[in-house]
Amino acid sequence: MSDSVELVWSRSAVYIHPTKNNKDNIAGYLSLVRPPDGEILISWVPESLIKLSKQDYESYVQVDLSLDGEVTQKNQVFVSKPPSMSVGSLARSSHAFSIKLSDLYSMQMREPSLGWWYGSILLFTKQAETLPVLFFHDDESEVEKRRTKTMQKKRDDWGGEFFMEKLENYVDIRPSTLEKGVYLINPSAQDTLAFAPPVTTSNEVSGPNSAKAATWGDLKWNIFEKLAQVTRYSRKASQSMFDRTPAPLRSMLNIPEVEQLGQDFDSARVFLAEWALGIVQDQEDFQRKNININLNTYDSHFDDFSIVAQSIERRNPVTLEEWESFFDENDGRLTVTAEEVKERIFHGGLEPQVRPKAWLFLLNVYPWDTSAVERASIIAEKRNEYYRLKRKWWENIDMQENDSFWKDQKNRIEKDVLRTDRNIPLFEQSETPHPDPDSRLAQSGANPHLEQMRDMLITYNEYNENLGYVQGMSDLLSPLYVVLQDDALAFAAFCGFMERMERNFMRSQEGMRDQLSTLGHLTNFMLPKLYSHLAKADSIHFFFFFRMILVWFKREFEWDDVLRLWEVLWTNYYSSQFHLFIALAILDLNKAYIIERLHYFDEILKFINELSMTLDLDTVLTRAEELFTKFKLALDLVNWQNNQSEDTKSQTEVTEDLRMLLSREIVDQREQARPPGATGG
Amino acid sequence: MPPKKSMLKVIILGDSGVGKTSLMQQFVNKKFFSQYKATIGADFLTKELTLDNRKVVLQIWDTAGQERFQSLGVAFYRGADCCVLMYDVTNHKSFENLETWHDEFLLQANPLDPENFPFTVIGNKIDVEEGKRQVSAQKAQRWCQEKGNFPYFETSAKEATGVDQAFDVTARNALQQDDAEGLDQEYPDGVDFSQYEQEPSGCAC
Repeated sequence: MSDSVELVWSRSAVYIHPTKNNKDNIAGYLSLVRPPDGEILISWVPESLIKLSKQDYESYVQVDLSLDGEVTQKNQVFVSKPPSMSVGSLARSSHAFSIKLSDLYSMQMREPSLGWWYGSILLFTKQAETLPVLFFHDDESEVEKRRTKTMQKKRDDWGGEFFMEKLENYVDIRPSTLEKGVYLINPSAQDTLAFAPPVTTSNEVSGPNSAKAATWGDLKWNIFEKLAQVTRYSRKASQSMFDRTPAPLRSMLNIPEVEQLGQDFDSARVFLAEWALGIVQDQEDFQRKNININLNTYDSHFDDFSIVAQSIERRNPVTLEEWESFFDENDGRLTVTAEEVKERIFHGGLEPQVRPKAWLFLLNVYPWDTSAVERASIIAEKRNEYYRLKRKWWENIDMQENDSFWKDQKNRIEKDVLRTDRNIPLFEQSETPHPDPDSRLAQSGANPHLEQMRDMLITYNEYNENLGYVQGMSDLLSPLYVVLQDDALAFAAFCGFMERMERNFMRSQEGMRDQLSTLGHLTNFMLPKLYSHLAKADSIHFFFFFRMILVWFKREFEWDDVLRLWEVLWTNYYSSQFHLFIALAILDLNKAYIIERLHYFDEILKFINELSMTLDLDTVLTRAEELFTKFKLALDLVNWQNNQSEDTKSQTEVTEDLRMLLSREIVDQREQARPPGATGG
Repeated sequence: MPPKKSMLKVIILGDSGVGKTSLMQQFVNKKFFSQYKATIGADFLTKELTLDNRKVVLQIWDTAGQERFQSLGVAFYRGADCCVLMYDVTNHKSFENLETWHDEFLLQANPLDPENFPFTVIGNKIDVEEGKRQVSAQKAQRWCQEKGNFPYFETSAKEATGVDQAFDVTARNALQQDDAEGLDQEYPDGVDFSQYEQEPSGCAC
C-alpha cells in the first residue's frame, strides 16, 4: 500500500488551458492527498489519467461529491499516489503534478467573471517550478450546480475559494501586502521581505522622486514609465537581473499561459509593476544601458501596455432564448445572479426583442429578485400610479388656464416633442388631421405617440415638482417609449432613468459642472499630454462635452447604437459613471488629431460636435473598458505607493471625484425646491 | 499689403424655439428644415462675406435657449463682436425675455464698453398668418430705440425673408466693433474653416 495515499479533498472540473484554444483544455481533479509519511500534497491529475483505474475514479468522484468535498476520519478513501512534478515522462506530457505543502511559496487567486472568464489559481513553489494555471470551470462542477440549486451559493463564491478554505486547515495563509489576490503560504519574515520591496529602497524611490512629483503628471509618469520597463524586462531581461528576482516571480515570468492570456497577464502586470517600483533604484544603471526610453513621449509609454486590451472584446447581444434561460420557468425568478446578467449585458448588450423585458430591470421599475407574479403586480401598481398622476393635471382646469408656470412648461414640452426623433417611424408626420386644430401638436397631424410623449413629460413635470421639465429630457424619454411602446411603463422607466440623470438638469447646473470637472481630472490623469494641449487651447472647461454628457451621447450615435450604449451604461458594471469613460475614450481615439491640428476652443468644439454620427460604438466601448482597466490599475499603484510612504507630503493625492469613479452606486444629486416665482427656464 | 481678413464673432441669443438654429442655417446654408432638434450646448457655422471690399469671416454661434444652460456658456461669449437678440413674433413671452437675454449677455461677455456694444434685434416667424402675431413691429422697434438704437429686423427663416439684410448689418456693426476694440486677431493662416461646414441633416423642406 506504499503507493496509495489518502484522498483528503477533491474537486472536479479544474482545468488547465495549455493553449489559447478551448479544445486543448484538459479537465482534471485538484486534490489534497496525504501520503503515508503524513505531509499533505496538492495534486492535479487529468481526469483521463484517473479514469485508467476505475477504483480511483470512483474515489475521486465520491470525495468530490461528499459534503464539502471532504471525508471524515471514519471513512477514509485511498487512491493511487499521484505523479509528482518531476517524475517520468507520463507526468510531463499529461501536465499532472503534485507538490508538498511545505514547498508552496505563494498563490494568486483570480476571481471569475461569469460568461467571460473562469476563476483561476496560480501556485508558486519555493523552487520556482512552473506549475500550470488552474481554471475552475464551476459551471461543469456537480457540487457547484447543487449549491446553486440549494441556494447555498453566494454571489462571489467560486471553486478557488473552497480550495483556499480547505488549504487553511493545513497552512497559514496570509494576504500579500502588495497585491489583492496574492497570498503567502506559511510566510517567514524573510519571505515577506523578498516579496515586499526593502524598506530602504522604497523610501529612496518615493522620497526624492515624489518630492519632485508635486504634480500629478510627474508622479503618474514615474509609475507608467516603470510599468513600461517591466514590460520590456519580462521579455528580454538579462540573466543577471533575473537572478536577483524573487523565485516565485521568476516562475511567473516563465509561465507561458501568463503571456498567452491577456487577462492573466493583466494581473501579473500589476504584481510585476509593484515589484519593479521596489527595485527600480537598483536597476537604474541597467536601464540606462539597455533600454532606450524617450522621456518626452509619455503617451507612447502608456500605449505600451495596450496588451491589457487584448482580452477586451465585445460579445454578441443577449438573445431572447438566452434571456429566458436566466429565469426559472416555473416562478420566473432569476436562476443566475443579477451580477452575472449585468456583466453579460455590459459586454454584449441586448437583442431588440429582449429590451422591453430587460430595460424594466435595468431601470429599476422592478427589482432583479422578483418572481413573475410579483413583477406583474408591480406593473399593475405602476400603471395605476401613472394614470392617477396624469389625471391629476388633466382634470385641473384651473391650473391649465391660470398657472403661468404650468402653461410655460407645457409650451416648452410641446415645442420639444415636435422636434424629438421625428425620423423614427413612430413619431412621423401623420396625414390624418389632428382632431383639435388649436393644439400645437396639430401641425404634425393626428399622431397619438406625440400626444403620449407630451403627456408623459407633463406628468413628469408635475411628478418631480422641484425639477420639472427641462430641455433634453424628451431626448431621454423617446427611446424608452419607442422600445416599451406603453406610456405607463415608459413613464416608470423614465422616472428610474431620471434618478441618475436629475443632476444633469439642475437650475444651478451644478451636476453638469461636476461631471465636466471630473472629466477634466480624468483626462489629466489618463491622457496628460492631451490635457496640457487642451489647457493651451483654453479648453479645459471641457464645455465641448456638454451635449454628450447631458443626454448621454444621444446626439452622437445612430439610434440603434444609443439603445445599446444606454443598456450598457445602465448596468453600472464597472462604474455608475462609466459614461465619463465613454467620453474619455472618444478623446483618446481622437487625441492625435486634436493635438496636431486643433489649437483653439472653437476648433475643438466644432471638431467634437462633428464627430456626431461618425463614431463606431464597439470601438468606443472597447476603448472605454480598456481605459477603465488602466485607470483602476493606476489608482491601485498610487494607493500602494502611498501606503509605502509614511511621509504624507510625498504621497500622491488623488481627488475624491476620481476615486468615486470606482463606485457603482449612482451619484445622487437632487434639485432643490423651486424658488417662488422661478420660471422653468 | 493685402486687405486683412477679420474673424467676426456673432452670438445669437433668445428663448427656446424662436428659430435661432433655423435662422443660422438659412443664412449660411440657404436651407430650412422645420424639425431641427433642440440645440444642446453650443455650435457655430462660419460664412465668408465681403463688406466694402473687405473680406470677413463671420462666425455665428447658436446656443441652447433654455436659460439654465447659459450659466456654463461663458466660454463662447468671450470675444464676441456683436450679439443678435432674437424672439418669435407669435410668442409675446419670447419678446419680454429680450431684456433678460440682453443683460445676461453683457454680464457674461463683459465687453470693454458695454454702453456701445452692438446688438441686433430680430423678430422671426413673420410668415405666420396675421392673426397669430402677438408682437407688433412698432412695439419691437420702440423697445430697440429705448435700449440703445439697436437695428431691428423682421425675418422668416422659413421663407428666407430679411435674413441676409439682418446679417449684413450685424456683420458691419461687428466689424466696427472689432476695429474699435483694436483687438482684432487675424484668423490664423492654414486653418480652413470650410472643412467644417457641413450640410445640415434632414431635408430642405
